[in-house]
Order: sequence, then C-alpha cells, then structure tokens
Amino acid sequence: MSSQPAPDREGYELDPVFVNSRREALAILLVWFVCMLWAVPVSYMLGYGRDVTPENVSTVMGIPTWTFWGILIPWLAADVATTWLCFVFIKDDDLGQAEDELPANEAVADGGNA
Amino acid sequence: MLTYSAVLAEGSNAALVTFTIYTLAVFGLAALSNQLLKSKSFLSEYFLGSRSLGVWAFALTFAATSSSGGSFTGFPSKIYTHGWILALWIGSYMVVPICTMGMLGKRLNQVARLSGSITVPDVLRDRFNSQRFGLMAVVLIVFFMSFNLVAQFKAGALILKVLLKDVDLFHSVSASAGQWTAGIDFLGNDPGYLVCLLFFGVAVIVYTTYGGFHAVVWTDVMQGIVMVIGVLILLPLALNAAGGLENATKELAKMTPPRRGLATVHIDEPMSQPLQVTRETWLRMQRDEAGSERVFRVAQPFSIDADVRDVHAVELLEITTPAEVSRIIAGDVPAEFDARLAVSEFQGSDENFGVVTVDTTAGSIPAVFHRGDVVVVDTKDGKRSFVVAVDTPVEAGGKIALTVTEPTTVPAAGTTIEATATKLSIKSVSYKYGADKPGVYVTGPGPSPNNDVGFLAFSIAVSFFFMWAISGAGQPSNMVRLMAFKDSKTLKRSIFTVAVYYTAIYLPLVFIFVCARVIMPGMEAEPDRIMPEIAVYLTNNVGAAWLGGLLIAAPFAAVMSTVDSFLLMISSAMVRDIYQRNMNPEAEEKTMKYLSYLCTMLVGSIAMVVAINPPDFLQDIIVYVGSGLAACFLAPVVFMLYWPRATETGCIAGMMSGFGAHFGMYLTGMFVNGSFFRPFQLFNFNPIIVGLFVSFLVTYLATRASAPPPEELVRKYFYRKTDKTNS
Repeated sequence: MSSQPAPDREGYELDPVFVNSRREALAILLVWFVCMLWAVPVSYMLGYGRDVTPENVSTVMGIPTWTFWGILIPWLAADVATTWLCFVFIKDDDLGQAEDELPANEAVADGGNA
Repeated sequence: MLTYSAVLAEGSNAALVTFTIYTLAVFGLAALSNQLLKSKSFLSEYFLGSRSLGVWAFALTFAATSSSGGSFTGFPSKIYTHGWILALWIGSYMVVPICTMGMLGKRLNQVARLSGSITVPDVLRDRFNSQRFGLMAVVLIVFFMSFNLVAQFKAGALILKVLLKDVDLFHSVSASAGQWTAGIDFLGNDPGYLVCLLFFGVAVIVYTTYGGFHAVVWTDVMQGIVMVIGVLILLPLALNAAGGLENATKELAKMTPPRRGLATVHIDEPMSQPLQVTRETWLRMQRDEAGSERVFRVAQPFSIDADVRDVHAVELLEITTPAEVSRIIAGDVPAEFDARLAVSEFQGSDENFGVVTVDTTAGSIPAVFHRGDVVVVDTKDGKRSFVVAVDTPVEAGGKIALTVTEPTTVPAAGTTIEATATKLSIKSVSYKYGADKPGVYVTGPGPSPNNDVGFLAFSIAVSFFFMWAISGAGQPSNMVRLMAFKDSKTLKRSIFTVAVYYTAIYLPLVFIFVCARVIMPGMEAEPDRIMPEIAVYLTNNVGAAWLGGLLIAAPFAAVMSTVDSFLLMISSAMVRDIYQRNMNPEAEEKTMKYLSYLCTMLVGSIAMVVAINPPDFLQDIIVYVGSGLAACFLAPVVFMLYWPRATETGCIAGMMSGFGAHFGMYLTGMFVNGSFFRPFQLFNFNPIIVGLFVSFLVTYLATRASAPPPEELVRKYFYRKTDKTNS
C-alpha cells in the first residue's frame, strides 16, 4: 500500500450530487435490509413446518396469516417507505448536461459541471 | 354450449387478431421513433434516446425490461405448481424499484452525462480513462448477452407456439413450412417452432433496427400498460370463479400434489383410424374394490393405432386430492373425459419412470426386451435396476431406448439382464417434498417434485431477497436505462410509479394463480400454459374473448421487450465501444448511422439463425447470465460511483474475481452435482451471493493495494469548483 500526501483541493468542494446520492443509496440499502429482516423471518416463523388442514388453516382476508404479516404488510410498508424516500428524502439534484444534449456551439470540454 | 377445446380455439383466434394489431402498433411506433433519429445526435438517440425519457417512458421501460416473459409464463406456472410460497419467492419485489433504480440511478446518470457516455462500457472506460477496462466490459457484455439473446429468441418462439397451438391458420402455415423444409437437417424437425421463430425474430429485428432505443421504449410502454390492465381485469374474474380468496386458500389446504406415472390405457371399441390423444384429455380408472374413483390427465400426448385394444407406457398425471376428484367428476371444472378410453393399470405409487438407453453391443443382450424384464444397468452413480414397461425388440445397431419404471425396492420377478446405460432420463413419480401431505400448498417451503427439502428453503429465500433486489441493480440492461432519464424529478416519480406498478402486478398474480389451482386442476402436465388457458377460460365465461386475446399477448410482448433491449446492448457495444472508441474515433455520423443499422440487423439475424438449433439448457443459461452479469458489474460500478479512491486496478480485479467466483460455483457443481447447471451452493446460498461477496471484497482490497487514482479524474467526477472560485 502506498502513502502519498493528500492532494491539494483548495477551491473545490465535494459535488453535492455525489454526496446526496451516496447518502440516499445508504438509506435505500437500510430499507432493503429492514424489509428482508421483516419478510423472511416472519414468513419462516409463521409459515414453515406447520401441519395445516382445511379446518385449522389460519387466514386474514383469505390470505394465509404468514403471507399477510410476512409479505403483504411489509410490502405496503415498503411502498410507504419508497414514497417517503422519493418525495421527501431524495434531493432534486441538477444532473448537468452532456455534450450530445447541447447545440454544437455551446458544448464545453468539461461537460459543463465544474 | 361450447366445449372446453372450442373455447380455447376461440380464445386463440382472438389472440391471433390481437397479435396482428399489436405487431402493427409496434411497427407504427418504430416509424415514429425513426423520425426522431433525423433531428438529433444519431448515436445518442439510437442507443440512449437522447437522455430524454420522461416519467411514464422511463418507469414502464424499466419495469417491462426487468419483467421478461418469465413474469407471465414462468411465474404463474410456479405459483400453480408450488402454491402460496411464491409470495415469499417474489417478496423482495417490494423493494426492487427503490433498490434497482434508486441506489445507482441519480449518480450513474450524472457520471454518464459528465463523461458523455452512452453505453455501460463507455462509463467504465471514461470514469477511469482506461481503454482496457472499457474493452473488458464489452467482452463480458457481448459474451453473456449473446447467449442470452439466443435463449430469449427461443423463449419468444416457444411462447408464441404455445399460444397459437389452437389456431387453424398457424397449423396450415406450419404444415406448409414442414413441406418446404423437409430434408434440410439444419432447419430441424419442428416446422411450428421455425414459423414462430421467424415471425418473432423478424418482427423484433425490424422494429429495433429501424426505430432504435425510442422504439424499444415505446413498445415497452405499450406492453407495460397491457400487462397491468390484463392483471387487474383477471383478478376479480379469478376471485369470483374460485368462490373468493378465503375459499381458494381452504381448497388449497386440502390439496396434495399430483402423481405422475406410466399407465396402460384400454380401448373398449378399437378404432378404425389411428387416434391422437392430446394433453387436454382426461381419463378415468374403473372403480376399485373400495369404490373410490381415480382420474388422470394425459401428461404426454400419445397415439393409438387402429384395431389396438391396449396402449402401454402412457404418461399420465393422477389427481390425488379426493375433493378435486369429486369436482372433476361432477363437471365443476373444465375437464373433458374421453369415454372411449379407460385406464386399466397405473404404476405411479412408489416408482420412478422414464427412458434408459442401453448399449446393445456390450454384454449379453436378448433379441427382445419383454415387459417385466429387470434391467440392471451401470450408471455413474453405480448399478440401478429398472423394470421394462414395453416389449422392445433389439434391432441391429449400437443403442436401444427402453421405457422403464424404477421401483423403490429391487424387483424379484422377471428375467434379469445386465446392460450398460448410455443415457438416462428418469422422472420422479411422487413429489420429493409434499407428496400425500395436505396443507403443503399454503405453507413453506412448498411442494417440490425434485427437491427433498421443498421448493423454498430458508437459505434460498434469503438468496432471492439478494437476487431480485441487489443483483437487479447490477444488470447492464438496467444500468443503460438509468443513463437515459431526463432529470432527478423524473427518476423519483418513476421509482414511485414502478413501486405502485409492481404492487399492482405481482401480488395480484399470486392471488390469481392460487385461484387458478382451484379453477383448473391437472395443469401440472403443462404448467407453462396456465396463463393463456386461465385467461381464455375466465374471459369466455364473461363473454369477452377479445380480452382473452389481449391477456394472451402479454407474455409475448414481455419477452419481446426483453429481447429488443439485449439486441441494442450488443449492437451498441460493437458500434460505439469497439468501432468508434477504438478503431475510428473520427467516423462520420452517416457512417455510424449505417453501421448501427447493419450491426443491429446482423446481430439479431445471427441470434435468430443460432436459435433454429439452440443448445440445450437455455433456461439455465438465462439464470447463469443474469446472475453472472451482476457478479461482474455491480461491485465495480458501485465503487466507481461512490468511492473517490476507487482505481482501475481495483475495479478490474473486482470484475474478474466476481466472474471467477460465480463461474467457479458452476464449475464445482459440474464435479459435485454432475452438471454445470446445477451449481455448487456454498452454505446453501445461490452462486450470486458468493460472486457478489468476492467481487466487493476483492475490489476493496485491490483498490487499497493500488496507487491512488489520478487527481484530475477525482476532481472531475467527485468535486466541483466552489462558488467563491467561480466568482
């Protein structure tokens, strides 16, 4: 591993699109993880290895109880989380313009960002 | 009143009309899209839609490309076969939109704009200013996608063939094609498949070549709308026909999996003409001493010669749930019995069955293998004993195929013959998990015909949560769409739209096909047809055959939308990443335009020709390619987007190690499980988990071990000048 002096970045700041996107990606990863921790263990505990007969099958609105609490409810919760992420948490960042989007005389060498 | 077959035929004719309208609409969209090509930068428009996709176009093209034909054929067939457990199997779709679009979308789109990239290899190359990284990505994409393209062409042709099987016009065209191609070995011996492949292939190649990315996107939008409307109409019809979801679940709780086996079918009055018996046919066995009735559905079509009284070794499916048997006999479900035929014997209680091919040049082989003879054959798993099910004379030559049963205990009766097997195709009679076990369709892990731990063990359920949500983010075909949306607002609204869309599609599909198990028993003989059959049946019940046609068109449209995106990805990799970026950077737009048309057409045509005689294991190839691409691309793309310290060396190492680890699991499977396509599952996890873990770890370690990246690249992609500096 090499150790080099920290580069001089005076006059520069971290791109807010990068910072916001990274923060949002971590939040999304957390939502995925929570959904997995909810759906798989709950479905397993309520729905696996059970001796079920027509007389004792447990349902909520016609759906097996394990599917209701392990899939349907977290699915709706995930939809709520997605809605919140989309309309509250994720920022409206300016993504810039590529050269192919600009008229020829406006195209800039650095992609118009810096 | 129409018979069930007539209902199907009527529905299929409606499907033909819908196909025609659908295909014309697709060509219309391609023509409109071609107009756009004239007014914009050609390559950016042709391969990326000029980065201008709005909410509906972006959301629906993403949703439609992700849900290939499998969503409307394979998924319903799995729900039908394994029951409610498919809700958990598909469960991670609750977070698929936010994960696959949100985790990488905004940043990938920004980096693609910064670098002016229009393909995934373009981004990798420009982000690290590395020609070799770009080329490596091209090689991997072309390698994986080419296999997949052939597989998808075959899937498209097969879906079309299944859907048109009751259409008269299709049969007459197939018969003519059969005459024209007779004697040309290369064109195979299935003219119906050839006709479907030609129709499907030409349609996709023409509209994709002519219209480019926008034609593909608009087709996806149309298809996405068809899919959701179809599902939402089918849901109340299915619930109504099954007597409500509560009733359907209770009926499922009674069910036990069917039993396959070999039967002898007796004909009371021998036919004067040969008779073809199709899979739609149901048969009964005379009441046994206990007075219980047994019903069977034909699992493999067979023919009965004139003047024959008994046909042996007929493959049937026995319904084992008494309540279902009663409903079938009472005529409460669509089932047509052939009263001329009856099952006189059925071997399906404790035996496997199938075909064993033996070498007649080795050992002492008799002139005729008689029914009841015991054949002890050498296989790679050791010696196995089979009982011959059909008298089979030995002809001069090297090999002979015997129809056999494999009893669970070594049979004592019959002549014993030692032989060497050259090929085994033995099927399990009873489900390995769930046989004779009521309740198995409403609980985990779900019944399985070939896996003794059930359909969805706990570790596999965890794997699927990774597979759909995380590996979906690593698919280059998804990434290229993330480079095409217009702005952040579009991305956010599209994620929300896709989340609502998936909720409206996948959960109702589970409800619909749980009901389908109750409405239409015995479809395990041909589970891939459950979608078209239930659609036709339910819509005819309410007098709307045209609607059945529309629903039947959905899987065809779904596979079409997957194929067209793969086609463009390969073509863009060649034209943009190989020719323009490496061979002729100064190429004129006109040259690039004609080269793009030519390349898209050529790649499509080659894939279509290869699909005439595709290699085996195509479905397995699709799975291998999907997970392999994620193992190669996800870690490098995540690191290059979110870690300023990421280096070319680290990302290349991560890409190669992901490929190697994933491939290694498959290779190990070849030695441990006897087939490349039965991969080794380390700690019971799918190879994708191993591939992703290794790829992320190696990318991190190799990056740390390599020199930091050039400062100008870090500044370009991670920093911007402060406002103070700008002023």
